[in-house]
Amino acid sequence: MSARRGGIGPGLALCMLFGLPAIASAQRLDLAITPATIVIPTGDPDLVPVVSSTPATIEYRVRQNNNNPWTLTVLAGGDLVSGAASIAISEMTWVATPSPPFRNGTLSSASAQTVAAGVGNVANTSRGSITFRLTNSWTYDAGIYTQSLLFTLSAP
Amino acid sequence: MWLEILLVGVLLTQGPPPSGPQNATVTLSVNLGSHARLSMSSTGLVFPDADPDLVPFVAAVPAAITVTAKTRTTRNNQVLLTVQPSGDLRSGLLTIPAAMLRWTANGTGLVAGTLVTGSNQVVASWTSSGVRTGTQSFVFENRWTHPPGTYSVTLVYTLSSP
Repeated sequence: MSARRGGIGPGLALCMLFGLPAIASAQRLDLAITPATIVIPTGDPDLVPVVSSTPATIEYRVRQNNNNPWTLTVLAGGDLVSGAASIAISEMTWVATPSPPFRNGTLSSASAQTVAAGVGNVANTSRGSITFRLTNSWTYDAGIYTQSLLFTLSAP
Repeated sequence: MWLEILLVGVLLTQGPPPSGPQNATVTLSVNLGSHARLSMSSTGLVFPDADPDLVPFVAAVPAAITVTAKTRTTRNNQVLLTVQPSGDLRSGLLTIPAAMLRWTANGTGLVAGTLVTGSNQVVASWTSSGVRTGTQSFVFENRWTHPPGTYSVTLVYTLSSP
């Protein structure tokens, strides 16, 4: 009985010694965006020079982050596409609130753009709002354009 | 007994598993419908009286009207601007054929033409969406046979994309 205790006990103690620091610095991040499809309705360009989506809700939470920075980014999958027609994704801008931590920006498919950033923890689930906008031009082809947006909440 | 205490200690310190970067994918959908808007620099044209021998074709006042056609349509779709008179030129019971009015045009897509009663005449044609401007300059064919009077007619312009 005493031999058994001597064999297992040190092993468990070793797990605790190596395990504790890793657990203490591993962030726990939560992210949810609704709705899953963000729609921008049509409008006469002379009457509605900028068309806007209804605000989408971003729910996020950051835990076990100590005093490290965290960021929420968005990356477009490409240009807006409707059959053979397309609109450069850089024509699409957004307005996000509250500021801080949210900031306004322009979509890109080349590099992830920062939507929000902060330091430390966000102890309770927090909400932000993001509204996408497009300058409504007569030169665009009529159609229903779509593109996927990848939001990523990360901490180093 | 020592072993049991250690196991409890490990369970208490582990907690929920850590998570890496969190992703959420949404679809952005932009609905750009078809729209058309037409504007003219003037909604009235006047042809002053003149001696037919001296002025066989009377220029309108203003000499030219600027047409601005804005259209959003599907890719490679044709856009047409047409004009149709409401009837012949009329002064009481007197009439003069609308074909006595003709126009020249300037601007990409615009063409010259002559009014025809009861028929749409093409003023311009384009392809796809865009904002286009051009001018129309009307003249009235002045003949001795036209009965004296003040004649008028309404021109209806239609901007369409089939």
